[in-house]
Amino acid sequence: MARNAVILAGGQCKWGVREAHLVDLFQEAAKACLDDVPTLKPKDIDGLIVATSYAGRCSFQVNTAPVVAERCGLKPTSICTRCDTLCAGGSTGIILAMGLVMSGAADIVMVAGGEKLYTPQKWEIFYSELASVDHDWDGVHGMGLPPPFFSLTAQEHMMHYGSKKEDLAAVSVANYNYAATNPFAQMQKTLTIEEAMSAPIVVPPLTLYDCCPITDGAAACIITTDEIARQYSDRPLVYLRGTAQVCLNSVSANFPGVHLADWKHTRIAAEKAYKRAKVSASDIKVAQTHDCFTISEVIEVEELGFCKKGEGGDFCSSKQIEIGGKVPVNTDGGLLAVGHPFGATGIRQGTEIMKQLQGRARHQVKDADIGLTHNLSGANAEHTILVYGRDPVK
Amino acid sequence: MAVLGIPILEDLYPSTMDMWPLEAKEFNRVWPFYENLKQGRLTTTKCKDCGFVAYPPRVICPECYSENLEYIDLPKTGKVIIFTEEVKGVPLGFQSPLIHAVIDLGVDPARRLLTKIINCPAGSLNRGDEVQLAIFDVPALPIDKGKLGTIMSERVFFAFEPVKK
Repeated sequence: MARNAVILAGGQCKWGVREAHLVDLFQEAAKACLDDVPTLKPKDIDGLIVATSYAGRCSFQVNTAPVVAERCGLKPTSICTRCDTLCAGGSTGIILAMGLVMSGAADIVMVAGGEKLYTPQKWEIFYSELASVDHDWDGVHGMGLPPPFFSLTAQEHMMHYGSKKEDLAAVSVANYNYAATNPFAQMQKTLTIEEAMSAPIVVPPLTLYDCCPITDGAAACIITTDEIARQYSDRPLVYLRGTAQVCLNSVSANFPGVHLADWKHTRIAAEKAYKRAKVSASDIKVAQTHDCFTISEVIEVEELGFCKKGEGGDFCSSKQIEIGGKVPVNTDGGLLAVGHPFGATGIRQGTEIMKQLQGRARHQVKDADIGLTHNLSGANAEHTILVYGRDPVK
Repeated sequence: MAVLGIPILEDLYPSTMDMWPLEAKEFNRVWPFYENLKQGRLTTTKCKDCGFVAYPPRVICPECYSENLEYIDLPKTGKVIIFTEEVKGVPLGFQSPLIHAVIDLGVDPARRLLTKIINCPAGSLNRGDEVQLAIFDVPALPIDKGKLGTIMSERVFFAFEPVKK
């Protein structure tokens, strides 16, 4: 009989500038995850997938999976490994865990992601970010820190589609306001359009609230089968219905769109994930998209099919991304306000969608039955989409 | 000179902190790209079997997996499609203003090449401006040759600069 994969539990530690070691953050996240379903114990977990990208550079630790397993009191017997797809690491871990539990190669897998990015001297993480993109061909030009790349993206979106700075501000206001009551968020404050419009310049047209912060943090979730999940929890089951991960280039010169605001790879990923999940864009009731920059969310709502291409700015500024709008997006605050410890982000997103589909989110979308998470990673070089639902794919 | 907090690294070279490519033949099979740069040429690889031109250069053709490749010249001038300028908060290793541009060299696969623009005062660049290849020295790579000691392998890199009007 076919095995269906579900997300059973999820949690994160407090994100921000943390006075803690990377392995401390993983322990806090593992505890938050199991606290979500207290009947589940560490000994029940037979698989661990760790998602971290900067452990090697910032914590002098490679082969992180055994380290995390030991510190978290896990003794996996089916899989114990690490994945690194930078900003999409957590989502990649969930996809891999899904495949493992569906195939029967594992039964209960913890996917744990985290980064400790604030180093004792601040220059180091900024310098190390040259490794986030294709080092020898983009990083070497100083393209590691992402604001310049997304400034170019924003300029091309404004040039070709007429989006405005006010549209970007509307995204930061929505996401900050979602995070204002989220105790785990790095930025717990409300924001007004006026504050967003008058914020200090980072790289024009991007200003302070257009950019996600650098974040220390970790998150963990549990992927298992529906039958096993029923033994631990009476909550509605949240199924992994369909996924896709698309990579068409690494070096920015080979960007697949006709310009930087044309995200062909996102469209391909969405088409594939929707097909596998047997849904269409209009079925998505709530979404967690990769708002590393406000312009990213504007383009993502277009490429994911929530509105027409070029109308993302209007979609966001007309409050369609807010509760009561067409598709509420980043309802926990997103990368912009919760923060972005790369490997942890996809797990935070999946956990929020799980809570939405179980009716227990902080900003609940009414009758949410299908939800989606999306990540981009690198210099916009890879797109990862997961579709979750209250029912399995039939 | 001692490294702050890590005295054992005095006079040692950590390649994991080197922002420039390991260009030397000993560490890189696309070393001809960098040797050609030293001669003032911007080059990449073309497949002699299927004709595919790849950027950046490769050791196999990504289309047909042939190893039968040759280096060909790319144009040395292009046009700025779009650019950004960072004046404050430029990261370690880069000078202000740090200007990034997507430029069109007029041939595939360099229709939208991302590059740094140098020798250009802040506020002076415009979309559509002509830019030309600019090659500069970067610190030599110290390679441990055992009994022969450490040799210093010269390195260059490239950016583009405005064509003087």
